[in-house]
Amino acid sequence: MRTLFWGFVLCVQAPFIQTLAAQERNAIENAMFPAIESSQLSETLKGRVLVEEQNCVACHSTASVSLQTDSKKSPRLSGIGKRANPYYIERFIRSPHDVKPGTSMPNIMSHLDDNESVSAANEITHFLFSLSESPFELNVPDSVAAEKGRGLFHTVGCVACHSPRDDSGKELLATTSTPLGELKDKYNVKSLTEFLANPHQVRPSGRMPSLNLPRRDYERIAHYLLRETKVPGHLKYTMLKGRVWEGLEVNVEREKAGHVDDFDLAKLGRLQQNSAIIYEGFLNSKLPGTAKFFLEMNGGELWINEKKVVNLEPSSRRGVKKASGETELVAGWNKLKFIYIHAGKEPKLSFEMSGPIGKRSAVPSSILSISTEPIEPFIPYKIDSDKVEDGKRQFVNLGCVNCHDDVKNKISNELQLGIKKRASISKLSVSVVDGSNGCLSDQVGQWPQFALSASQKTLIKDAIPKLESSELGHQQIVNKSLITFNCLACHDRKELGGVPVDRNQFFVGNRTELGNEGRIPPPLTLVGAKLQKSWISEVMLRGQRQREYLATKMPQFGEANVGHLVDMFEKVDSIEPVAFEKIEDLEKVKQAGNMLIGTTGFSCIACHDFNGQKAAGPGALELIHTTSRVKKDWFYEFMLKPNRFRKGTIMPSSWPGGHVFMEDVLGGDAKKQIESLWVYLEDGQRAKNPIGLSRKSPELRVTDEAVICRGRGTAGYRGLAVGYPERVSIAFDTQEVNLRLLWKGEFTTVDNGRFFARGRDRVSFPQGIPFHRLKSLDDNWPYKRKTDYTFPQDQGYRFGGYTLDQLKRPTFFYEYGEVKVSDFFEDRLDDQKNAFFKRTMTFDVPESQEEFYFRAASGSIVNKTAEALYKIDRLVLSYKIENDAGKKTADRGVIRQGEPNELLIPLKLQKGKTILTLEYKW
Amino acid sequence: MVTTNKTMRMQTRILLLLSICFHMAVFAWPDLAVSGFAADEDLGAMWGTAKEEEKYYKLVQIPIPDHVPLKVGSFDVLPDGRLVAGTRKGDVYFIDGAFDEVPNPKFHLFASGQDEIFGVAHKDGDIVITQFAEVTRISDTDKDGVADRYTTLSNSWGYEEGHEFAFGSKHDPEGNIWVALGLSGSYNSNQLFRGWCLKITPDGKTIPICSGLRSPAGVGPNHEGVMFCVESQGPWNGSCSLKHLKPGGFLGHPASYNWYPFVKSMDAPSVKPNPNSRIAIEKKRVKELVPPAILFPYIKMGRSISGFRLNQTKGKFGPFENQIFLGDYTLSVILRATTEEVNGVWQGACYPFREGLSTGIMHVEFSPKGQLLAGGFTTNSQWPVRGKEPFAVDRLDWTGLTPFEMKEINIRKDGFVINFTKPVNPVVAAKLSTYNLTTYTHIYAGFYGSPEVDHTTPKVTKAEVSDDRLSVRIYVDKIMEGHIHDFDLAKMKSEENGDLLHKKAYYTVNEIPKSDAGEK
Repeated sequence: MRTLFWGFVLCVQAPFIQTLAAQERNAIENAMFPAIESSQLSETLKGRVLVEEQNCVACHSTASVSLQTDSKKSPRLSGIGKRANPYYIERFIRSPHDVKPGTSMPNIMSHLDDNESVSAANEITHFLFSLSESPFELNVPDSVAAEKGRGLFHTVGCVACHSPRDDSGKELLATTSTPLGELKDKYNVKSLTEFLANPHQVRPSGRMPSLNLPRRDYERIAHYLLRETKVPGHLKYTMLKGRVWEGLEVNVEREKAGHVDDFDLAKLGRLQQNSAIIYEGFLNSKLPGTAKFFLEMNGGELWINEKKVVNLEPSSRRGVKKASGETELVAGWNKLKFIYIHAGKEPKLSFEMSGPIGKRSAVPSSILSISTEPIEPFIPYKIDSDKVEDGKRQFVNLGCVNCHDDVKNKISNELQLGIKKRASISKLSVSVVDGSNGCLSDQVGQWPQFALSASQKTLIKDAIPKLESSELGHQQIVNKSLITFNCLACHDRKELGGVPVDRNQFFVGNRTELGNEGRIPPPLTLVGAKLQKSWISEVMLRGQRQREYLATKMPQFGEANVGHLVDMFEKVDSIEPVAFEKIEDLEKVKQAGNMLIGTTGFSCIACHDFNGQKAAGPGALELIHTTSRVKKDWFYEFMLKPNRFRKGTIMPSSWPGGHVFMEDVLGGDAKKQIESLWVYLEDGQRAKNPIGLSRKSPELRVTDEAVICRGRGTAGYRGLAVGYPERVSIAFDTQEVNLRLLWKGEFTTVDNGRFFARGRDRVSFPQGIPFHRLKSLDDNWPYKRKTDYTFPQDQGYRFGGYTLDQLKRPTFFYEYGEVKVSDFFEDRLDDQKNAFFKRTMTFDVPESQEEFYFRAASGSIVNKTAEALYKIDRLVLSYKIENDAGKKTADRGVIRQGEPNELLIPLKLQKGKTILTLEYKW
Repeated sequence: MVTTNKTMRMQTRILLLLSICFHMAVFAWPDLAVSGFAADEDLGAMWGTAKEEEKYYKLVQIPIPDHVPLKVGSFDVLPDGRLVAGTRKGDVYFIDGAFDEVPNPKFHLFASGQDEIFGVAHKDGDIVITQFAEVTRISDTDKDGVADRYTTLSNSWGYEEGHEFAFGSKHDPEGNIWVALGLSGSYNSNQLFRGWCLKITPDGKTIPICSGLRSPAGVGPNHEGVMFCVESQGPWNGSCSLKHLKPGGFLGHPASYNWYPFVKSMDAPSVKPNPNSRIAIEKKRVKELVPPAILFPYIKMGRSISGFRLNQTKGKFGPFENQIFLGDYTLSVILRATTEEVNGVWQGACYPFREGLSTGIMHVEFSPKGQLLAGGFTTNSQWPVRGKEPFAVDRLDWTGLTPFEMKEINIRKDGFVINFTKPVNPVVAAKLSTYNLTTYTHIYAGFYGSPEVDHTTPKVTKAEVSDDRLSVRIYVDKIMEGHIHDFDLAKMKSEENGDLLHKKAYYTVNEIPKSDAGEK
């Protein structure tokens, strides 16, 4: 849904982009480092980035350690046979700048003549593709996935670096984007998906980040980028689902598309009801003549040469029906479109024809094609072992191995000697002295030809002597890294750059009321002064994000590549420190914070989400993680003057110019008031709910006190769920007065009388009443069956309700015959801070009772591990029984074998009170 | 094929029929694959009287803060004058200031975490709610303003299906809550007492009252303290109706016969109603059958009538004291009804009252100031509602001006007395042609709803205007037992030659008086 929305935004803006592109379009002749060109980096640093990106140190030695570690490693080639089209690679090796304009890959064959370079490229390709076993092949692109991929490509962040495309696929910002080349010639859907999901396996230096998307989304992007891949086939199909009987335009969703051999439904897998398949292709008839079509189906239309030949209205009230029609076929290709609709009972399709192609029979795939023009099938690359050996030699001699050093171990020691020789060509500092030959000259020779522009060369030449003489300072490291990883494509940083004007429009979000803050990632200006180091590393290294409403995802560049920034930001960014007085009455201050944040104060929660509950207003950033994200000094300054750090923010100042509106709170002291918000928010998810918190969200969150909901769902129809402050929950069935489920983590969602447990680590308990007098251990444990209308009242049960303690935790009351039970679950923490339940069941009887069992738990494996200590699958359950005088009863627990096994605790209640205490740990 | 084909349209229509009036179905309708009746569903013509009605009953919308999902299922008013609202989310709010002329109310969350609430009543400082699964007494024992004890008074009925709604009354004079239980869907009673009305005593005893309900909604008394409930159109119910919850009675839908063996004090009726018959015929065969007291002709008078309340505001709400006011979910209108007992059977008339409310009305309540509150909600999809707000509370304030209306119609052995709110023009009122009267009834059968059938056109033979000109006694040649008598008084004029605000009224004749003892 979200994708669709963003896709729509894109369509609207497309014309604007086109005019921009028209002005800018010119041929790409040089290696493309758009981030360098658009940045306000110093010349020296620009030169340094170029040296690193071209990996000069792969051949040239240098004294600078950081230059070696920071330089971009070339793509790893050991798996290239699986991932890339060998024909493309061969062409690319021979003339990289023609095949992929803007690439940083040098031409290493400029000194060879045509014949030599052709055979060298061929031999190297044979070598590289000999390294993996499974051969490359083409995949049929799915046009439906591609359409979704198009939306993703243009919204999740790809177009921050790569060029956005128009409907025809034309790149709109080609001259200012990192080039991709003709991807359809290079990848198949599988390999591109794999690359997008794990880019650092192939490109370890992290310039191409991972976006942490679901795999399905990578696939969609791959289908989009490769949608022009041509693969021969018999029929194209598109599968649709929804209200197909009303037509295929509205209320129908396209599911998938591809190729299929013929009209045999089984070839498309299981078909759901209310779906349709559009088949498209051409039918080859040797002779002209009248063809008759015989169809059996629920509904559909057959069109031959744009003429409707068969039409059958679908119906959900019947199965299949026969329909037929005839038309004239021309000799040769006849255009065919067939819409099959499955609205009825079983999916069934019979598609037969008779006429110039022969007697009545199913249409064979041999006369069907997706195209009137022949499409060449992909011919697997045949590896020639002689060429492989020659290729290895070329790979060393031409210097390929210097950069693509991961395949070094595939090359014999003897050949490797050549590598060393090349590596000692020259020192980096020396290389620039003589401009008459070498990489930076305009001469052709036995050196790589980079497609560097004159100005790029100048930057490098000027920078190298300075780079060698001193290592970079912190500020320079930060600045350089922000360019290398193109952080400024999405984030602004003062005096360095930010989101370029022509890309601004591609940043979208789903909370329009937030304006730019709802679509453009936050600025990095003073980020080291703003964010806690731990949070920076969560975001940069572990993919955490707070602004779910931004379509753009925070990319992951890999800890090895950007890990240093976590410390570095703090070193270079600072604001004036703020001194806070010691807080005397912490609770009072917290209360003030609680008051200020709610509708009783500044109504922060009117705009901001709070503790997982959506704001009624625009839905600005979740507040509950504030103190674990930002620094206190910064928080104070920001609250005082939000505009100082975020120009044009919609966040208002609650203390404009230091003016205090709430004079009766904390003595009308702005500083204390701001600090009270901080102190209050430090409670994190436990923070007491503020007044006015929206109750509209279907998701129930537990904070400082227990939360209850009732309804059908997780615990039968008369269910009741309790979420406890220690983040453990129970679901209790008030009909059978029994525990049904324990879980940890998030509590539940509620939806008009229904609730469903969320969270994790579920332990379930079987249906049935808690107590029963089994006549024999072979008897079934009773539960409410369909026709047990008065169960469990007929067993003496009656649910009496519950009371709440100070933390809103319930004590249930119920009766089993004469036995009155009160039942309290207490959430506790063990020594390792793991939450568990202590359950106290108090039985009160007017006179001694005949013994009965309490079925405490059941599972596939039930073991007694110690006295009164049992392990039931993952649950560890201990218990004790004592009367109100403190007299204990020995453990007589019975493990009853069956499906499942049960733990039964016998209870022999004497007059008065008996207390059964249980501990549930899991 | 792109156009909707006939079969599908048929299917849509059948589904429509299946759902019509059974408005509860929307809340839990299981994955409806074919839901062709969403947004553009025809809700029938408006009465066209909203603008005129506004002169007499002004509509005030009560503001609801952004954070409060106030989807009202039931209202009550506390002795301290605060409004109580029970919601679908299972919350109970105390609302202060809802009755102010320009309301700017404060909302206090008293209780939460319950199932959908369709009954709220205060008693002895506690709040008693009726939710799907039980009747619950909610108490604030430590008096901190927030509930801390939830006592289950009764859950002695089956609940195993999402359509099995439970609606509860306020306390009767003995302190009992009357609970009307919907069937499992429209046709079956799969769990204990589905389709029954139960009485829950203050100490939690559950007493079955009567069987034969289908999908009841609001429950409450009329001016004589006799308990009624709203019933929805569907199988065995040709239209929505107000049914008398007569102890021992059978109220029309036979699916719930199966629970008589679970009621010691009652025997199952010896016969079941014949399908494809008429209520007037079957009530003679099935002696327990209690005919609906008031039938609401479908669409003309609501499509999904929900909650109702008796007006005992002592004139603060205008001239309709002791009359019943009902909300309609689908049409977002308020209807009015009067009841009378004839030969031991309840019957009466219904009248249009006010249209143009903001949302689907689920419940109505009178304030101590004599305002009528109407609250409810719409559902996101599937069920069409005329009011567009997702949820709202409207308030109708009487402006002090008296509309010219048919105040009440009463039956006589050979005709009717039509009472008016203002004196009539004696010349017009004496003309027989002023009174257009038709009658019709419904097929009493197990299929869904019923067309109007057996039409007659009784002849008005005499019209006598009373001395005070506030009523007219009309004589008709034949009163039809078991029929709705559809009054069209478009030609009637008031003394000042004004038109009736609403020209229609509908009297359901279950019984014809044997004498005119009631004649004043």
